[in-house]
Formats: sequence, C-alpha cells, structure tokens
Amino acid sequence: MNGSRNATSVLRHHREPLLLLSPGVAVLVLAFFLPVMQMLVLSVQVDDGAGGIAFGWRHFAKFFVDDYYLGVSARTFRLAALITFICFLLGFPLAWVMARVPARWRMFLILLVVLPLMTSVVIRTFGWLVVLGSGGLLSDFLELLGITDRTTKLMHTESGIVIAMVQVLLPFMTLTILGVLQRIGAELEQAARTMGAGFWRAIATVTLPLSLPGIVSGCLIVFALSISSFITPTLVGGVRLPVLAGSIYSSVTGSFDWHFAAAQSVLLLVATLAVILPYAMLMRRRDAKAAR
Amino acid sequence: MFTRRTFTAALAAGAALMAVPAVAADTLVINSFGGSYEKTHRDLVITPFEEKYGVTVKVVTAYSADTLAQLRAQKENPQFDVVHFSGGLETVAAAEGLLAPIKPEALANYGQMYPFAVADIGKGVGPMYKVAAIGLLYNTEQVSPAPTSWMDLANPAYAKNVLLTDAAANTYGMLGLLMMNQVAGGSIDDIQPGLDFVSKLLKAGATVVSKSPEIQQNFAQGSAWIAPYAQDYAFTLTKAGLPVKFVQPKEGAVFAPITVNLVAGRPNNDLALKFIDFSIRAEASAGWAEALRYSPTNKEAKLADDVASQVIYGEAAAKNLVGFDPIKIGDDRAKWNEAWKRLVAQ
Repeated sequence: MNGSRNATSVLRHHREPLLLLSPGVAVLVLAFFLPVMQMLVLSVQVDDGAGGIAFGWRHFAKFFVDDYYLGVSARTFRLAALITFICFLLGFPLAWVMARVPARWRMFLILLVVLPLMTSVVIRTFGWLVVLGSGGLLSDFLELLGITDRTTKLMHTESGIVIAMVQVLLPFMTLTILGVLQRIGAELEQAARTMGAGFWRAIATVTLPLSLPGIVSGCLIVFALSISSFITPTLVGGVRLPVLAGSIYSSVTGSFDWHFAAAQSVLLLVATLAVILPYAMLMRRRDAKAAR
Repeated sequence: MFTRRTFTAALAAGAALMAVPAVAADTLVINSFGGSYEKTHRDLVITPFEEKYGVTVKVVTAYSADTLAQLRAQKENPQFDVVHFSGGLETVAAAEGLLAPIKPEALANYGQMYPFAVADIGKGVGPMYKVAAIGLLYNTEQVSPAPTSWMDLANPAYAKNVLLTDAAANTYGMLGLLMMNQVAGGSIDDIQPGLDFVSKLLKAGATVVSKSPEIQQNFAQGSAWIAPYAQDYAFTLTKAGLPVKFVQPKEGAVFAPITVNLVAGRPNNDLALKFIDFSIRAEASAGWAEALRYSPTNKEAKLADDVASQVIYGEAAAKNLVGFDPIKIGDDRAKWNEAWKRLVAQ
C-alpha cells in the first residue's frame, strides 16, 4: 500500500476523533511538554566560566556526590515504599468489602472514601497538623493507651508523614482495586469455597492473583504520587526531614538555583518513569496474550 | 450586537490599556505588599500623599521577589516609579542598576533619619522607611525571668521548647542565624560558630519551622517558649491573645531593612522623590509602629509609651540595632543555605 495514500485515508477516516483530540493535545503541549522540555534544557545548562552557557552534567554530578541529596532521595523512596505498602494493606480489604456488599452500601462506602478527595490536600494536611501536634487528638490518645509519653511527638516525624500521606492516598489505591474486584465477581470465590477452600485460601489463591493488575496499578499510582508529593511531607515532616519535592522547592525559592532544581526534577521524573514503564510494557504483553 | 467593528474597537481599547504608560506627570506607579499591610500603607502614606499633592498613586500588589522580577523584565521600559522592598532585594536591584541613586538634599526629611537608614542612598538603595527588629520572642508564663541575651536560647531549662526558623527559606531566620553566629564568636566571613551553636540547640531538642504561621501554632500549642524572630510578629501573637513578649537582647537586635526606592529611567523622578520623602516623614514612621509594631527610622517619630515599649525606640535603643552587610548576604546566601540544610536535616 502507498504510504501517502495511507496517511490521507487515516486523516479522512479519523477527522472527527483528531479534531476532538486537538484541544487536549494543545493543552498538554503548552502546559506539559514545553515546560518539561525547558526543564530538561535547564538541567544540563552550565556556566562555561566566561559568562556564557555551555552544556554539561555538573548539576547531576552535584546531586550524586553529595550525601545530603542522596539521603534526601533515600528518605523519599523509603517513605514512598512504606506508604504504598500500608495503603495496600488497608486498601485491599476495604475494596474487597466494598465489592461484596449490596450496591446501596457500596455507594455509601465509596462516598466515605471519596469524600476526603473533595477537600484540598492543604486543608486536610492542616487538619493533620492539629491532630498530630502535641496536645492533639492522636498524640493524646496514644499517650492515654500508654504507647507514648508526653515528650513523644508525631509532628516532625517520619511516622507522622506516613500517617498523613496514607490518608491522602488511600482512595487512589482502594478505588483502583475496587474496579478490578468488581469485574472478577464473587462467583469464582464461591466456587473455590464449594470446592473446599477456606475463606483465606480462596482469597489468597483466587481473588488476589486475579486482582493483581488492579493492585499493581494502585501501587504504582500511590508510589508515583507519594515520591512527588510536596505539601504533606513539608508541613507534617517539617524542615528537618526534607524529601525530594521539598528540596526542589527550596532550591528554587531559597537558593534561586533553577538549574539544580531542574536536575533534581529530571531525576524524579526518571525515577517515576522507571517504575511505570516496565508495568505498562508488562500489561501490554499480557493484554496481547489475552487477545490471542 | 457583537459585530466585527465592535470587536476591533474592543481590541484596540484593550491594546491601549496594555500599553499603559501614557505617563501623566501627576501619576505614580508603586508596589505594596497587599492585605492589612497595604491598607496601613494607604492610610499612612498613599492617600495623604495623593491629597496633599493632588496626584494619583496607582498601587500594584507585589511582594519583593515578584517586584524584582518585574523590574528586571522591564529594564528597558520600567513601569514602576517607586518600589518597596523587604528582605534585602533592594541591594540586588541597586547593584543591577535598576534603582537610581538619591541625593541627601533631595529629601527634606534626610536630617531626621537614623544614619543607618539612609547609608546607601547614594548607591541606589532607597531609605529604610522603617525596620523590623529581630530579637527574642518568649512565652511570659513559661520563661521567667525574661531572657536578656541570645545565649539564653541555650538555657537547659527550656531546651525542648526553643523554636528556630528555617534560615534557608526565611530572611528573618537567616538574620537570626547571623546574629547567633556573631554572639557565638563568628563573623560574616565565618558562620561556623553560629552553625555549631544551632547544632547544640537542635541536639538539646529545639524545633525548626519554616513559615511564620507555624510559629504562632507552636506558641499556641505551648510547645514553643522562646524563639528568635521579628518584633512585629510578636505583636501578631499578642493580638491573637497569646502571652508572648519581645525582648531586645543585650547584644542587640538585628534589623531587617524595609525600603522605599527610586526606579531608574522613569520620567517623573521629581514626584517620585517627593513620595519617598513623604514615606519617611516622622508621622508615617510613628504610624507604622502604632499599627504593626515596626521600629521607626525617623528620630522625630513620637510614640505613646505603650507603643514605644513594643518597638525599638529612641536613639539609645536604635544604637543597639545590628545590621549585616546585605551585599555579603546576597553573595553568600546560597552557600549558607546549603550549610544550614545539612545542619538541620536528620
């Protein structure tokens, strides 16, 4: 088949979809691709010593030879992994219950899960500042149970960051898993039960493996959101527990070092892609296999 | 009906609006910082000035960093006549030639000013129309007797209740660090003694916050008893009903300059200079102290006793104000920020 004719026919057959796509593409180009390109350029621009601009890796090198910035990234990824794991532990059972209860109850539960999303993350975080602060609800409760004493605080601790972030991100995990569980249906589990599997065994050998795509994508969303999150770790964790996004912010607003900030952003972007791309490829292969 | 002609007309009108500077000789464009600050600014300076000289002052709400960015972008064709800065950016703007030098004889109130407040007007750094004093804020119910020295921050009796402000994110925090450094034996060329002092405070249990609302929150929750910060903010806390007082330590309080500057390359400099002169007159200086507890830079400012006791007032007290070379701060800020971040990170 002739290439140009092929292109024309594609255009003719897809004129309306292309037209419908164009506003979204235009916004993406203007608001996403251009700034990202600019950031990529900024990150490799260095001063050539004579007042001019050259290209080089100095800003990246600064990041990798410095214990401070390596420590900041280590904290960022460690916390993100922990937050993702806890979100899964809480989110999967919740999603399972939501998938198995009658529709009316499900609506109610979904509402409960989604409701916090209707409030700005800043407002929710300020709520956590009150709850976690000394003299706050949670601190007093833990003290009452004898778990902590007066001097233990949750504010400005990694535990505090994890607690607040799990609340912020749990809906993403729960709803993603719920979508998959609803498609699986209860029949397979019931079949496993009638064949003699216990409740836990049915979950572990039937439901869990089947819902893996939902679990993995939920984990990816939560992980990606938590390594790039800025407001909650900054406010709850404070100055002394810097994370990558906060470090980027402080490079821009405190030191006015846009190049180094851009280099850190590129590294964050690369880390996010490194997590998401393998998943996307895996899913594609799986879908291709399923189609066969 | 919306015809093509009305559309063209509207477009032309819009373009005319954007190309604003049909600079009338009786119009000034200035910046202010918004909110209750800007309201006070209007009451004390802007509106009385308009009435006295029969001119119009157009106020653009823009903080210091935004204003500097706009001045840089408009270098060839500046749109402001007078700009206000806080946090040391006037030195940067003056060094870049964005601000015009002022001769002492151009300001009728020059002779009434404390010398430090008009020291660099020949270099383009406008006069300080007031300063924010940075000393010690303390909870009067917990800290007794009242602190008298910066060294009292290291008092073991309230080691876990010391509140520091992030020097890498907050100018007052940086000035506080420089002062602790000076008291601990350092100099502007060597801030290591200051970093060591802060390190000792952190090990003993001090907390670090980055934004001023967090200071209020920590004082309100009772976890902060003593903090190096600004006097005007102590007033904010007092107004919120907290038992907080400001003290000027015996080694001195640091002043953070708040300046009114003449923009270079504008046609109506004469009127702009009148505005600057009007901004530093004694009544305005006193008014800022009454309304927001900034310290006057005009020696003739007359304050009631209760206000006078809550600002740095009088020549003797003003002598005890410590200033740090803003050019040096500008040059070394990035380096200090890095050192500070490493110090406080756990």
